[in-house]
Amino acid sequence: MKLKRLWGTSPFKSSYDAVMIGGGIHGLATAYFLAREHGMRDVAVIERRYVGFGGSGRNTAIVRANQRSQGNVRFYDEGLQLWAELIRDLDFNMMFYNCGNLNIFHSEAARGAARLAVSTAQMSGVKSLLLDRKQCKELIPVLNIEDNITYPVFGGMYHPPGGIVRHDAVAWGLAKGAARYGAHIHQNTEVTGIDTQNGKVTGVQTSRGRIASPRVLICAGGYGALLAQMAGIRLPLHPLTIQAMVTQPLKPVLHHVVSSGAYHVYANQTLKGEIATGAHMDPWPNYTTNTTPHYFKHQAEALVEILPFLQGVKFMRHWAGIADMTPDMAPILHGNDPIEGLYLDVGWGYFGFKSGPVTGKYMARYMAEARRPEILKPFSLRRYEQLRPTGETAGAFSYGPWN
Amino acid sequence: MSFTITCPICGKRDLYEFRFGNEERGPAPDQEGLTPRAYSEAVQMHTAVGGPQQEWWYHRDGCGVWFTTWRDTLTGRETDEKGNIS
Ligand SMILES: Cc1cc2nc3c(=O)[nH]c(=O)nc-3n(C[C@H](O)[C@H](O)[C@H](O)COP(=O)(O)OP(=O)(O)OC[C@H]3O[C@@H](n4cnc5c(N)ncnc54)[C@H](O)[C@@H]3O)c2cc1C
Ligand SMILES: [Zn+2]
Repeated sequence: MKLKRLWGTSPFKSSYDAVMIGGGIHGLATAYFLAREHGMRDVAVIERRYVGFGGSGRNTAIVRANQRSQGNVRFYDEGLQLWAELIRDLDFNMMFYNCGNLNIFHSEAARGAARLAVSTAQMSGVKSLLLDRKQCKELIPVLNIEDNITYPVFGGMYHPPGGIVRHDAVAWGLAKGAARYGAHIHQNTEVTGIDTQNGKVTGVQTSRGRIASPRVLICAGGYGALLAQMAGIRLPLHPLTIQAMVTQPLKPVLHHVVSSGAYHVYANQTLKGEIATGAHMDPWPNYTTNTTPHYFKHQAEALVEILPFLQGVKFMRHWAGIADMTPDMAPILHGNDPIEGLYLDVGWGYFGFKSGPVTGKYMARYMAEARRPEILKPFSLRRYEQLRPTGETAGAFSYGPWN
Repeated sequence: MSFTITCPICGKRDLYEFRFGNEERGPAPDQEGLTPRAYSEAVQMHTAVGGPQQEWWYHRDGCGVWFTTWRDTLTGRETDEKGNIS
């Protein structure tokens, strides 16, 4: 059988109309939309390792649009709607499983925060409901709602349109789509410098030589701060190692994404039957991808309290990636300031998978028109000095029984 | 593998006993003529070095002291000022 490659290798040119630094879904999506929506086809995606090496191939694939602040919900909701269109246009099955998300809470304080988030969603036309503990049990029969655990369940925030999308398929599908329009994807190529002249970006230095370009996008996931440093820009980012793991495969038993801020855990059953679960971040900066026994223990303890059927089930694999966390839990989507032609798509923390394609769509518009699209206004880098954070940290996940 | 750092009072201890207190930023900026951007640059922005950096730690589950030490963010290991594992 002759196998057909999804995308091929391209000649390494010395100039492009736009260069994306990072071959994750953000860079690939931006290249794809630059070509599809703006006719800019002479573009390159520069990737140090291989497509999907970063967060794009390591995330736990959860998608949803039930954030705390309106600016976020509007953006993520468009992201959620985009999957169906992408799957059609790319002719690539991304296995969108819209099983719905249940975020359980364990205190009055968290219930209050969840109520506000539900109101935000409802005012934005996004389906989100507040459930009491009995309704949570009706939705997820394997959930423990007894009082015999550390943090008994008070209720939940149920978001039917969310779910899981297969992350590798997203990266591969977008790479295929971008390449189809003529984008060059250069793997095993490291960006080592960003060139500027008179306040304008002029290109990048790479391990394979210099590339001239009037538009450069930093979309290097957890490594974004290191790229920004090359242009002399400091950001309010902490790169934190975030861990995830899967159990051995089980028969279908858990039909929703379940998450809990107080237990600091989330879990869902993949289409292969494994329980994929994660959340822990060591709260100090690291560009490493180590996993820790400290966390396996935490994860096991939390899971058997809220999903007791998991007692005795084995973890099969574990891994980690880097989450570039901003202080207000929202990304920085910014351009032409302080350097003309230099764009930032960073600070996606552990929420940049669900938003990859929609961010690509709007960063492409930003770069093509050199004007910030309205929907990206809440995500300016300057919001920090203006003391106008997004308000996302007031989400239900921040409140526990200790509040 | 478990990581450690060295408390000046208690010695080498498990990293999970400590609380991270940010990278060392040098002296606070002069209040005179301080603009919002310069203030933000000093208190909100990080360098987020890839490599050894000096940083603040608090021995939360120990003696309660605040101190600075060096750590390599590319390996997670405590180092000396030159980046060598101490
Ligand atoms: C364990 C884990 C779980 C997560 N779970 C979720 C989730 O459930 N839902 C969700 O929405 N998000 C989740 N995320 C976050 C999400 O994965 C990221 O925000 C997203 O993948 C970022 O995509 P990206 O394309 O911007 O960056 P990445 O996919 O990280 O790609 C950046 C690329 O840049 C490359 N690069 C770095 N430096 C250079 C250089 N100097 N030159 C060239 N290339 C370079 C890297 O090799 C990398 O491939 C999770 C992340 C992790 C780690
Ligand atoms: Zn001590």
